[in-house]
Amino acid sequence: MIELRLEGLVHVYRDSTVRAVDGVDLQVGPGQRVAIVGQNGSGKTTLVRHLNGLLRPTEGRVLVDGSDAARLHVAQLARRVGLVFQDPDRQIFARSVRAEVEFGARNVGMDRADRNDAVSQALAATGLEGESDTNPYDLGDSRRKLLALASVLAMRTPVLVLDEPTTGQDVRGVEIVGSVIRAAHAEGRTVIAISHDMGFVAETFDRVVIMREGRIVLDGSPAGVFAQRAWSTLEETYLEPPFPSRVGARLGLDSTPTDEALIARLRERASDSVPST
Amino acid sequence: MLVLEAVSYRYAGAERPAIRQVSLTLDKGEVLGVVGPSEAGKTTLCLVASGLAPRAIRGAMDGRVLLDGADTTALPMHEMAARAGICFQHPQTQLSGICGTVFEEIAFGPMNLGLQRDDVVVRTWDALDVLGITALAERDPMQLSGGQMQLVAIGGLLALRPAHLILDEPTAQLDPGGTRLVGECLARLAAGGASILITEQKTDLLERICGRVVVLEKGGIVAAGPTDEVLAAAGLAAMGVAAPSRVRVRRALAGAGFGDGAIMDALH
Amino acid sequence: MVGPITLLATAVVLPAAAAGVLRRLLRTSMVLSLPIGISALLVNLFFFPGGSEVLLRLGPVTATREGLELALQVLARILAISGAITLFYLTTRPAELVVDLERRGVSPRLAFVANASVQTVPAMVDRASAIIAAQRARGLDTEGSIAQRARGLVPIVGPVIMGSIAEVEQRTMALEARGFTRPGRRTLLWHPADSGAERVARWLLVLTVPALLVARSAGWLDLLG
Ligand SMILES: Nc1ncnc2c1ncn2[C@@H]1O[C@H](COP(=O)(O)OP(=O)(O)OP(=O)(O)O)[C@@H](O)[C@H]1O
Ligand SMILES: Nc1ncnc2c1ncn2[C@@H]1O[C@H](COP(=O)(O)OP(=O)(O)OP(=O)(O)O)[C@@H](O)[C@H]1O
Ligand SMILES: [Mg+2]
Ligand SMILES: [Mg+2]
Repeated sequence: MIELRLEGLVHVYRDSTVRAVDGVDLQVGPGQRVAIVGQNGSGKTTLVRHLNGLLRPTEGRVLVDGSDAARLHVAQLARRVGLVFQDPDRQIFARSVRAEVEFGARNVGMDRADRNDAVSQALAATGLEGESDTNPYDLGDSRRKLLALASVLAMRTPVLVLDEPTTGQDVRGVEIVGSVIRAAHAEGRTVIAISHDMGFVAETFDRVVIMREGRIVLDGSPAGVFAQRAWSTLEETYLEPPFPSRVGARLGLDSTPTDEALIARLRERASDSVPST
Repeated sequence: MLVLEAVSYRYAGAERPAIRQVSLTLDKGEVLGVVGPSEAGKTTLCLVASGLAPRAIRGAMDGRVLLDGADTTALPMHEMAARAGICFQHPQTQLSGICGTVFEEIAFGPMNLGLQRDDVVVRTWDALDVLGITALAERDPMQLSGGQMQLVAIGGLLALRPAHLILDEPTAQLDPGGTRLVGECLARLAAGGASILITEQKTDLLERICGRVVVLEKGGIVAAGPTDEVLAAAGLAAMGVAAPSRVRVRRALAGAGFGDGAIMDALH
Repeated sequence: MVGPITLLATAVVLPAAAAGVLRRLLRTSMVLSLPIGISALLVNLFFFPGGSEVLLRLGPVTATREGLELALQVLARILAISGAITLFYLTTRPAELVVDLERRGVSPRLAFVANASVQTVPAMVDRASAIIAAQRARGLDTEGSIAQRARGLVPIVGPVIMGSIAEVEQRTMALEARGFTRPGRRTLLWHPADSGAERVARWLLVLTVPALLVARSAGWLDLLG
């Protein structure tokens, strides 16, 4: 069980003047499910790449389980924080699907039996069990993304960080990602994911962090950040509330970010207006 | 006008064709959406329609692709680029790799066409402007966020101002605001007479901008028709395509017994 | 030996320091010239025929003083060459190279090929560092000892080459899709800055070459070796 904490995090890329992350304080407790959303270029990817040491802070600190990530090797951090990249082409390198998924599991020092188990489970969870021997270059774009996910799942890290896992996925792909997140949550693992799909975010996460120009502008439950009082902030940051929220608003209901919430509030209202005798 | 007549395409080395017997017509001023599950052949369809397959990608094509009546296999590739431009699914691969700034990257296509210098500059600023990325003009195109790179790739296509635009999941990495902006821009281009072929998983976007939609499954067209009809079809999700939010919520509400008029009106 | 070292100092190290790329230059040209440099050193050191002053005997091979001198000289030359090439990579923006070649009437496609070859090295470095990042993120330790760093390099050679091939294909496609193969002139938006001082320096360099050749054949440079 691992707690993550960012303190005054600032990141400026080499040869750049843009403050990609510009002073972020964030604490994520063990077992939380957190979505990070925000405009293109608002610093989401830059932020999460600090969680396993791939980027080092220009200013501020990253604490993983209380210890300063700056003092740990990426390889040591990798046992605690698994990161799936936004672009699978920059993550995948092996010659077969199985070798790709095994790579991380081997490095984190699982014994043979555990490793085989972890690999098969990761392949099954992502629907790639039939593709063990396929060359990753022969998979389509969306399945390459699922392969990148599987390769990190197999490491069984206590923290799972997913950078835009649902982009380009069809209905089944989105379902796969959703159930991977739910299963990890049920096992008590922390899940942090970046997404532009507000509907998916509202359905799948307990906490939503909204970024704009390198800073956090909203942080709360889906019902909270998608509530009407937050809409102007959302709009300023190129976001929009999920469709059920908008329908709810037109019907005079607030905080209905999911279909279920919308129906539940309609039921409540119906039972209020028909007083029971 | 872009016409595909019974087109099949098999990649070199592949056992089965990636698309089979696909026929479609893209009229002037029309936005045609293509949906389908992963590996249905959407990208292949775009490559064939733009003439890149089989010219730049090895494989065997059957059938004909006609651009304003001319067989595309007879047109040189640079002519195709000027008349039927494509935006790839993967923005990184679209970038030229030889431009130092976003501005040059977007100007790259018009420069290749040998247009007047002033014309190139105007087109480039226009493209930056409609996509809301003028602030990125001086940045290195290889050092952008994923979504910013995608916008630059779209900008490169817009600056070519082709009569036909082919876009393969152009908004996959864009934020909701950017997605809306691209949608509005495509709708405007179509109103001005451009023909647009777009593949997307975001059916909410297609619902807003497409007149017609075709559904591709395992390389073949399995449904085609007016957007509202096709995207509201009951079997869509089973084929792996998400129904638009509006359709999904309507079903959920009706299923829960809230199908009355006032509530249904709130969906629009 | 003094010759190549003087050359290295005046034509590579000083300009690199002036351009502020000395550290990157040293790192990159080291990596580039290490394999060939080591083999050239060993071959010349141990297999120089007929040296007289024996420095070291290792079984059947001997290292002589003359061998050592020649080996160092070859090494210095390799460093001078790779240093000069790296300096060019590090201080020339690819876009400027292409535009400038085109401005001088080179066909765009040839200019592109010239550029692509200039960019191969940085592109491969970029791809390699992406793969290293991916592998570190999945627990491969490449930060510890030199042995550990070296271990990290082995599994990336294949993917880097594979990836580069795939990238060339995709890049070609992207260029075709954007009209790059059109015959005839492209529009040029700008001219790379070319100051008077730079022009003078360029001509001086060109004139230096025959001057050095003359000096060398006249024997004026013999004392430099
Ligand atoms: N390698 C890089 N070098 C320099 N600047 C970079 C680099 N990568 C990203 N940036 C810049 O840093 C800022 C934050 O980028 P980042 O990739 O973190 O955004 P993001 O929120 O993940 O966006 P997206 O939703 O488009 O993926 C942007 O202004 C971007 O242009
Ligand atoms: N270069 C290639 N060589 C061989 N086969 C390929 C190639 N590209 C795609 N395919 C195959 O062709 C089929 C259709 O792929 P395509 O990329 O067109 O699908 P798609 O609908 O775009 O999928 P996605 O949603 O993943 O982008 C797939 O079975 C795929 O594996
Ligand atoms: Mg990102
Ligand atoms: Mg595709």
